[in-house]
Amino acid sequence: MQAGGADGFRLRHLLSFRWVAVAVIVLGWFVYYPIVDNFIVSTTNEDIFTGEVTNIGLANYQRLLGDPVVWTALWNNFAYAVISIVFQVFGAFLLAAIIEGLYSERAKRFWRAVYFVPSAISITVTGLLFYFIYQPEIGLLDALLRGLGLDSWVRPWLGDEKTAIYAIIAMSQWQGFGYSTLLFAIAIQKIPREYYDAAVVDGAGPLIRLWNVTFPLTREMTGLMIIVTVTGAFQVFNEVMVMTAGGPNNSSQVLGTWLYQQGFMENDFGYGAAIAAVIFVVTMLTGTAQLIYTRRRRVQF
Amino acid sequence: MKHALKTATLAVTAASALTLSAGSGWSASDVTADPNAKVDYNGTVTVLTKFGLQVLQPFFVNIAQEYEKLHPGVKVELTQESDDSVKDKTKALVASNTLTDVYFSWTGSWGYNFVRGHRAVDLTPVIGPDTDWGKTLVPAAVEAFKYNGKDYGIPLYLDAKFMGYNKAIFQKLGIAVPQTLEDLEAACDTIKKAGITPISLGNKEAWPVVHYAGQLLAYNVPRATLEQDFDPKTAKFDDPGYVAALQQYKDLSDHCIDGASVNGTSYASAFQQFGNGKSAMYYQEIIEFDQSTAADGGLKQSDFGFFVLPAPKDAKGDTKAVEGAPEGYMINTASKNIPLAIDFMKFVTSKEHGQVLSAPPYGQPSATVGGASEDKMSPAVVQGLVVLKGASYLMPWLDTANSARTANAWLSSLQALAGGTMTPAEVMDKVKEASKAEAK
Repeated sequence: MQAGGADGFRLRHLLSFRWVAVAVIVLGWFVYYPIVDNFIVSTTNEDIFTGEVTNIGLANYQRLLGDPVVWTALWNNFAYAVISIVFQVFGAFLLAAIIEGLYSERAKRFWRAVYFVPSAISITVTGLLFYFIYQPEIGLLDALLRGLGLDSWVRPWLGDEKTAIYAIIAMSQWQGFGYSTLLFAIAIQKIPREYYDAAVVDGAGPLIRLWNVTFPLTREMTGLMIIVTVTGAFQVFNEVMVMTAGGPNNSSQVLGTWLYQQGFMENDFGYGAAIAAVIFVVTMLTGTAQLIYTRRRRVQF
Repeated sequence: MKHALKTATLAVTAASALTLSAGSGWSASDVTADPNAKVDYNGTVTVLTKFGLQVLQPFFVNIAQEYEKLHPGVKVELTQESDDSVKDKTKALVASNTLTDVYFSWTGSWGYNFVRGHRAVDLTPVIGPDTDWGKTLVPAAVEAFKYNGKDYGIPLYLDAKFMGYNKAIFQKLGIAVPQTLEDLEAACDTIKKAGITPISLGNKEAWPVVHYAGQLLAYNVPRATLEQDFDPKTAKFDDPGYVAALQQYKDLSDHCIDGASVNGTSYASAFQQFGNGKSAMYYQEIIEFDQSTAADGGLKQSDFGFFVLPAPKDAKGDTKAVEGAPEGYMINTASKNIPLAIDFMKFVTSKEHGQVLSAPPYGQPSATVGGASEDKMSPAVVQGLVVLKGASYLMPWLDTANSARTANAWLSSLQALAGGTMTPAEVMDKVKEASKAEAK
């Protein structure tokens, strides 16, 4: 027997949710529950060894404000984001445009592969490789600087509080650059040739075509890359752990490594969860803002 | 990078949830080993070791195989971590209530964490001084794992810090073994003039300079004050010896160490520099002696010598103290088969296995009586044990003797001291601040 009328429609409407129920439960349990639980944990003081949990309200958030390492970490994440946008978004865009501007299909494939190779190397291997580049005694970088007569520039790049985080960021650019270039190359390939032909007929040179054709027609990819880069920069963890573990003297801490140190090194999971909450808020705000921006400026051919 | 942080964040929350639910049998109550318990030789024994280094790994692997051969119903599952990773691994296992049946532990505050969390079996009835097993172990080593009057640890080997030196370089430059810190600084000046790095030091991991500081603190701060300051509830850190000791490190660094590069160099790289004969000295643990003179290096076993980091002339503390401590294992109270876990550790600490452990390539001086067999060990390790026996006090490692937050303040601030961005007084302010916060 079939239900009819408004009631039947409502029932069918409700029943239609069964197709997504499993996905909703999985998503709720593995994504949304941990987020809510993280906020709950951040209001507690928890001793992992004894299992004692004390509710302390917003004290962990108050402590965040007065913790100088949190501010250092925030700055480092911010620097990571800005430098990554410059190199992995705009730099990668320029490189992709140059590669896609080549006439030979073979040359295009070759250069795409060349730039993509670093992205295929594991971070542990990259970390070790760059440790030997930055090492003060036998490192390639300092040897090169000495060779060029730039002795005053020689320094222990990972051991100097002023340069450690930037040395890590530089390594990260080297590794992530090729991946972004490949994505931009795909976006550029999707632009119909007619637009370029029309621009050439109008007398536009390569730079004008790049600025007035390629750049606006890849803005959706640019927007997406900015979101991915900024959220990635605020969630960075492996690179710092492998290279300096946040040192020297916490100068290269980012929010992710400081969270880890608080939870697993200092046995303070409540404070670690409060730091995780900050990361969540920052990345969610960035992601939402970017999504709204790119939705308004959708590209359709 | 995103994935790893998500994993870490989820681990924090998941670990918290699991702590609340206490899912794997751990309960907040004491468990005491039963000396009359019958061992059921069936099931699995999980073991977390600190022998993750390639050269050390075979020790436990071979013992596990022997034990499984003797008891076909038993499977030994090993998780072998390195010195750097074992702390994080242990805490992750504790937080998720998945700690192994047998796990590595240092002495001091680190070990006490397991005791106050009721995660370590009280072994007094089976390892106490009057027991059969207890009589086979070095009493002072068992004593080092005593908390609240009870024995909780199974010491496996003895460890201490010494200055390893290249006898050939010393001889060539006419340098005698330094008797005071001032002598050592003068020796460094001579070595430096000869174009050789006096002491190689890698402090990228932050704890190597903490070890220098530990030995110097023992020379400058009375033992009672040090021990009072290990506990945040009684800590004051106001003894002038603290700043004096750190100033001595600075002076030593100025004469002997390339201060600018230490934080950018790993412990392993600096160790290799010494092993390759490129530096004259290296501050190392006795358990690393045999690795200094590995066959492929430039330093021959006959050229390897060592001395205790000498005390300054005007030292106010204990000049006979040596920094070091035994290292060992504890039994998890949540283990399903505690008698089997204990039996496995009795097997590990047998005299025969002690002799294997003490001899090259492992070179870890066994804590089993008769385990440190002189005819099988390297001469340097034998001599190291003699010095260790004559020590008036074994100064524990600062980063395991202090509780977590204070320990991390030591680590990060001493990295700043080594890099020249903090003064000794500023380091002590940071340590005091962390200890006060921890006491609250």
